[in-house]
Amino acid sequence: MAQILDPGSIVVDDWHRSADSREFFSRILHKKKRRNFGLLEAPVMPPNVSVDTVHYKIFISGKSGVGKSVLAARLTGLKIPNMHYETTGIETSVVYWPVKLRESGRVLFFRLQLWDCGENALRRFDHLLPVGLEYHKLAHPYNNKMALNCTDSVILEKIYLIPIFLCVFQSCKEQVDAILFLFSFTDRVSFDDLTNQIARGTELCDRVVKLVVGTKFDLFTHTDVTEREVTRFQEVSGLPVFRMGGDVTNASNLGEVAPLLNCLAEHLWHQDCVAAMAPAIPTHPESAVYMKSTV
Amino acid sequence: MMLQQTGSVQLLCLTANSGVPLFTRGACKQLPFSIIGSLNGVHMFGAGQGVVLGGCETDRGGRVVWRVFQDSVMLIAVSAGRHAQQGSGSGDSGEGDFQMRRLLENVWSCMVLVLGQDELVSVRNVERLKRDLRSCYRLIDQLLEGVQGQQSTMGDLTHCGDCLLPTNPALLQEALDGFTQAAESEFGCLMVHGRIAAATDKWWRLAPQEVVLLSALARTLSGSASCDFPVFLPQGSPNVAHRLLRFQLLLGADVCVLCGPSPTLNRAESELVGRFWSPVVEALRGTLAVGERCLPGSVTLRPDVLAVLLINRESRRSVSCVKTVSAHPSPHPCSPPLPSKTRCWELLRLFFTFSATRYFPLEETPPTLALTPGQNGHGEDTESLQEDFVLGFFHQPLQCYLVTDECKCYGLQTGQHQLYLLTPLSVPTFALRSVATETLSALTAAKGF
Repeated sequence: MAQILDPGSIVVDDWHRSADSREFFSRILHKKKRRNFGLLEAPVMPPNVSVDTVHYKIFISGKSGVGKSVLAARLTGLKIPNMHYETTGIETSVVYWPVKLRESGRVLFFRLQLWDCGENALRRFDHLLPVGLEYHKLAHPYNNKMALNCTDSVILEKIYLIPIFLCVFQSCKEQVDAILFLFSFTDRVSFDDLTNQIARGTELCDRVVKLVVGTKFDLFTHTDVTEREVTRFQEVSGLPVFRMGGDVTNASNLGEVAPLLNCLAEHLWHQDCVAAMAPAIPTHPESAVYMKSTV
Repeated sequence: MMLQQTGSVQLLCLTANSGVPLFTRGACKQLPFSIIGSLNGVHMFGAGQGVVLGGCETDRGGRVVWRVFQDSVMLIAVSAGRHAQQGSGSGDSGEGDFQMRRLLENVWSCMVLVLGQDELVSVRNVERLKRDLRSCYRLIDQLLEGVQGQQSTMGDLTHCGDCLLPTNPALLQEALDGFTQAAESEFGCLMVHGRIAAATDKWWRLAPQEVVLLSALARTLSGSASCDFPVFLPQGSPNVAHRLLRFQLLLGADVCVLCGPSPTLNRAESELVGRFWSPVVEALRGTLAVGERCLPGSVTLRPDVLAVLLINRESRRSVSCVKTVSAHPSPHPCSPPLPSKTRCWELLRLFFTFSATRYFPLEETPPTLALTPGQNGHGEDTESLQEDFVLGFFHQPLQCYLVTDECKCYGLQTGQHQLYLLTPLSVPTFALRSVATETLSALTAAKGF
């Protein structure tokens, strides 16, 4: 299991508060809001400052309605929809996050692409997959029971649909660098299922950063999960747990998302360093950057 | 003369044979269950007597429209008349009915688009269907907003693709064709500000309603960087799903392709997006700058045009624009204020409906598509949206006008085009025709639309 890093051990903690970060953070803001970047766009720095960008793929995992899309919107600074809409298929969104490495003082832009998959929608097509296809189990973290109840005739009838949705699943798992496991403070079941969820997610890929996020933390009056349980879970699993929820009062206030994004960046960077230097201990973190496409 | 706006609309969906409610959308205050039951009951009573109940109007200006699709799902739309107290002649009912019937048609198609026809027609488990239908809510809510005039597009009503005319169409078309081909597809479309800026030939050969619904779907997905969305085509492929891949190139500029199992979203994004679109990023920015006006700077509209909708009848494309009021001060301080931008969109929709139901019937889907066996076999599905009034004409009207207490409207029809125009009240009625013909030639000459 990957090592848990203390906040601030690799990247500068709370860097968004310090004066020297302003130049970098201003590139991800626009009119006091977070800037939304298209695929052809990236934060533009003045020509005399060169900053490398490292790309990562983050998969958001959790049962339907737990708040995957809202978390993605929160992290990217997009408007949070005021109504719950089910995600059908896959939606990805991109977060640029500047990070300062502690030792070298070097600044990097982390480009985190969040993958949000509507679980129910996939499940709807999931049952069309023939029983016993091992690669299907690998391809989709939610190996659901409906496949077993499916009658043969239905499978034969719908067999033409298989390639399309297999490809959707594969798309999700291809080259994942990190998984955010979500549970909701208002849904006991989602918390109890975390261990299973993590086991399934880890089966998916071996070298992956894992973080746990509890959503709807603001609805404490309806909470189904006590603080003690969360602490205990954190101790047992050894995974960092974050709490998210409530209205975003000010999108340019990065304080709410900074701890999670910094922690994610820290672990991703560490994972790359370890991989690049394995089995030796990383001495020159910079060299790891060449593993990832730099822009 | 008043152009009446459809008030807030509530949409009910029930199973056709058992009347089990599947969902309701719209209007914040839901109708009580007993009313939903009665609405279903009265339709069922009619059916028992061999009568199809299509719609009715309440004495306070509300309106109810029913329709059963494929003997499996019943959709009911209930609207509260907003200007009920002003009353109106019975002649006005046409507009509301047309809009509401279009709404029901679109909602059904959008359910097919998301879930596929099989799942809706052969219902095995009602509870599961209810859950699955939740995937349609986002799109249905957008359609409801459209009916209430909160969208600046008209496609849901006209069934013509809402277009934006780019400054450099050839360059974008070339990039799109290359990108679509590389994504192993023939169906590609570039959308700017939620309207079609370029599309492949095959995209335009989809049924007009499909073009409109795919545009609406792409709009609901805007904001995210990329999407992979399973879609069924209500007419072309109601039972076999395709994938709609959508990529946000720049903020407000999205490219969509309809494809089969490959490529994966990952691959298309990492290998194809940059390769085909980076070289034309400046052209994309130029097109974004066209903005909500939808017309390039080279096309100038006369200052006395408030809003315009141009339809190409052959290609089923449309371009529409409402001028910002600030650029349009009222010439005389004593004359009534100009309608707001939102109101202009409403008025444009109403005037289109007024003309389409009375004078300029739009050709419905070509018969080759409409008569595919099994799809339109039911008598109800082929019902006409025209009023009987139209059928009484011996000739085809070419122009029409309407003076309301908010604006003046002029409609014009040629072999290839339909033009709908709103002007301020200050424009003399006798000048409307020349304003309209001039606008038509300015729009068509510049871009060959």
